[in-house]
Amino acid sequence: MSADPGLAVRALSVTFGRNHLLRGIDFDVAEGETLVLFGPSGVGKTVLLRAIAGLEPAARGEVRVAGRDVSMRGPEARGIGMAFQNFALYPHMSARDNIASPLRARGVSRAEIERRVGAVADLLRIGHVLGHAPKELSNGQKQRTALARALVGEPRVLLLDDPLRNVDAKLRYEMRLEFPRLLRTAGAATLYVTQDYREAMALGDRVAILLDGRIAQTAPPETVYEHPDSVAVARLFGDPPINLLPCRPTESTGGVQVAAAGLRLTLPAAQHAIGRDCLLGLRPEAIAVHAAALPGAAPAQLNATTPLHERLVVLLRAGGEEVVASVLGEVPVPGSAVWISADPAQATLFDAGSGARIAAPAPVREAA
Amino acid sequence: MSLLLDRLSKTYPGRDGHPVRAVLGLDLHVEDGEIVALLGSSGCGKTSTLRMIAGFESVTAGTITLAGRRIDGQPPDRRGVAMAFEGYALYPPLTIAENIGFGLVRDKRGLSREAAAQRVREMAEMLEIAPLLARRPGGLSGGQQQRASLARALARDAALYLLDEPMGQLEPQLRAVLRGRVKAALKSRGCTALLVTHDQTEANAMADRIAVMEGGVLQQYGPPAVLRERPANLFVATFLGEPPMNALAAKVQPEGLSLADAAGQCIPLPGVKLPPDGVNVVLGVRPHHLHLGEGPLSGTVISNQWLGDQAHVVIELREKIIVAVSHTRVKLRAGERIAFGFRPAHAHIFDGQTGRALAHGPQPA
Amino acid sequence: MARIDGTSAFLARGLRTLALAVIVLFFLFPILWIVLMSFQTNEQILRIPPSLLFDPTIVNYRALISGKLVTAAGQLDLPFMRNLGNSVLLSSVSVLLSLVLGVPAAYAFARFRFRLGENIAFTLLSFRFAPPLLVLLPLSLYFQDLGLANTYTGLVWVYQLICLPLILWIVRGYFEDASPDIEYAYRVDGHSWWRAFTRIAIPLAGPGIAAAGLLAFIFAWNNFVFALILASADKQPVTVGALAFVTASGIQYGQIAAAIVLSILPTLALALYAQRWLVEGLSLGAVKG
Repeated sequence: MSADPGLAVRALSVTFGRNHLLRGIDFDVAEGETLVLFGPSGVGKTVLLRAIAGLEPAARGEVRVAGRDVSMRGPEARGIGMAFQNFALYPHMSARDNIASPLRARGVSRAEIERRVGAVADLLRIGHVLGHAPKELSNGQKQRTALARALVGEPRVLLLDDPLRNVDAKLRYEMRLEFPRLLRTAGAATLYVTQDYREAMALGDRVAILLDGRIAQTAPPETVYEHPDSVAVARLFGDPPINLLPCRPTESTGGVQVAAAGLRLTLPAAQHAIGRDCLLGLRPEAIAVHAAALPGAAPAQLNATTPLHERLVVLLRAGGEEVVASVLGEVPVPGSAVWISADPAQATLFDAGSGARIAAPAPVREAA
Repeated sequence: MSLLLDRLSKTYPGRDGHPVRAVLGLDLHVEDGEIVALLGSSGCGKTSTLRMIAGFESVTAGTITLAGRRIDGQPPDRRGVAMAFEGYALYPPLTIAENIGFGLVRDKRGLSREAAAQRVREMAEMLEIAPLLARRPGGLSGGQQQRASLARALARDAALYLLDEPMGQLEPQLRAVLRGRVKAALKSRGCTALLVTHDQTEANAMADRIAVMEGGVLQQYGPPAVLRERPANLFVATFLGEPPMNALAAKVQPEGLSLADAAGQCIPLPGVKLPPDGVNVVLGVRPHHLHLGEGPLSGTVISNQWLGDQAHVVIELREKIIVAVSHTRVKLRAGERIAFGFRPAHAHIFDGQTGRALAHGPQPA
Repeated sequence: MARIDGTSAFLARGLRTLALAVIVLFFLFPILWIVLMSFQTNEQILRIPPSLLFDPTIVNYRALISGKLVTAAGQLDLPFMRNLGNSVLLSSVSVLLSLVLGVPAAYAFARFRFRLGENIAFTLLSFRFAPPLLVLLPLSLYFQDLGLANTYTGLVWVYQLICLPLILWIVRGYFEDASPDIEYAYRVDGHSWWRAFTRIAIPLAGPGIAAAGLLAFIFAWNNFVFALILASADKQPVTVGALAFVTASGIQYGQIAAAIVLSILPTLALALYAQRWLVEGLSLGAVKG
């Protein structure tokens, strides 16, 4: 294995007129690694994939596949496999001919085409529909055919543009379970685009968050979830989303003390946070709801509860702020007075002005 | 006001002479002040049902009664129904405020101008579109338009609120909070609402009772907890819950269930009323009811995905894929062997042929 | 109750059929009348009162095919079959040329944004705005100088004014409707852009190309003024040639009708042939649900 990453992108920019959609994007994807490209809709994820594939004439910058600069090559000569969000199957060809297309382009022998199409079709369990036209396939089968076409040429780089967007929820979940093994088998440097944070966390070895034309953070999924670099990143992960409570930290032994929504937490934040306007980021699952007063707990009003899978999402009002908690187990009925407490180990402090993270959350102790 | 659907059916003339039966003998009773979700995948008949209630579609057979009054023969505007459309259906030349206030001003028994303006403001604040009130729908995002459409429906005083996929386009960051607020608002005003959705999360979050439909037929109707703990058939069992319920082929033996997917391994299920010996069944266990690390079953870990607040562990049991959910982090790597099991109380037994529920684990007291 | 429903349903169906029959008769009557006329002699046509009952005759067709027009004043030479051949030649060559030029141009307008792109496309459309006669008078002078007057080349060139904008604008819409992702996918598979154009873009726009080609053929076929001014007898299409039926001894209605029937036939045949290409649905199922 070479030392060069499977895919390297350097200073990639895309500008449409005065609109700088992507500005100076840099990242590497190792061979066999899956990097998930995550961000809200319209942020340019698909444009970035197209630029890497050579389909975006407005792209500037460098794209290296297995160490070779392919920036000046056409899409047919980059050694890339790609699956499109809308599947983009060739409607006038059978599923078999769709999948065989990358092999035909390279002049692979008929017997070899037959063998490799059969193998990839078995892997994706679509062997029985190879003779069908795309319009005769179910959405799930279309999606698998499109994946098979991307995989069959054994590309060094695999670009997957939200491949599960257009299949139903159940199938999407099943495919989410299947993907890690599939991608391990392929062994390519994979760039996977999604808008679903759970999909991003489930499939990514690392996650790159694209915001305002730049990559805001690249890190393993857990790091992104627990130590988001900014408010904007923090808001994109988690359902229900993170609570962001205005606060102004004060000095305290062992860090800074934060009072928000009636809660008082001691965080090991940098001293420069003291006296500044900050936002306390608290994940809903880091907030506990109690029916009785506990030491350190803050009084709150319980406004509504809505079940979310096995959890209950609890809408609260505490210290004049709306607070969302996500709890396992029972809570009092709406309208009740309750008490809430929070785990400071799961709290993050952000600068209210810039939105940047201030404190690395590490537990000290809960102030009384 | 209470809504009663009595043997409601809808048949469309098919293109090639085969009539399409969209809804088949649907019986549904929504009580006054209740929020009911009509849940199913596309083509299950839920939208046809909604359109019949709203009056956009004629009734093939059966009746619709709202607040004690037959409404199935009446035009839509006489039915006393407010509707939030999936496609928003906002009036493009009007501002968002005018859109929301539209039904209020036109209504003869309507509110005074001031009261109407007050209502519009309340709705806009609840759905976080107050800053958009002076704008027109054209420049707004799908999520914003959907919130405006929802506000327009909720602003009216209606006997019944029909909400067609009301949150489908909402920004994920807002969804959880708005579900709670809309539910609280409906409850505080004592509104009766029928929510049509394909999203079980939304149905679970908002509804008092859920009606699961498939193939035009009502599969089960009950509170979310009953559907979750006592599913009437395998369809309902695997349709609800995320991740879906694990289903394993099995055969009843004198000493318990012999799992076809685990080389005939036998699992005792004390306390579960099993069908007679030799019957082929399907054993269902929800992913979060599987305990990792101990139990009679074992398999190979395929992946362990931590999603921030829960871990999804995928285990291969011979040919079968099993999913376990843990609310704490587990240290497991792909390729490791792992033992796992479940409590008999969490077992669901379904008929191997029909999928009908035969037995459920003994309910906790 | 059920019986009444059944009766009213039967009545409704009957009324609908009747209404359809009336509409079809209304629209097809002129054509039907012409077909009937073509099998009658001038005397039969002109008798008063007109009658649907007559002895069919094929003298009109015989005259047209043999090129000998018999009138009360004597026998005239009539190059009808040559006119028909000219029509076929001019229309098909013009349409083929327009397809060769227009389809790639339509693709370029649909897929690429370039400077003045919209203006060029609009300019091409604007060829259809000008009254043909205004364009033709100066053009005929230039054609005299260039030696293009009364040549097939010159006529085919002028016919581009009819065919090219039509093909360009119709086909462009079809290219725009097809998702570019399908072509992108083909490129990423390793195929050149030329192959992506010929193997993906053109087959997917097939129905549009067929429809535009057919429409352009019909417009070219029915054109009158261009050939009237720029062509003499031996290059004239049927539309101009039909003037010969107005003879010194009267108007030859029977032959006109037969000529109309004969000149409808090629277009009709082409339309029937093209129908299978016109079927929409090739692009269905290509992309998501």
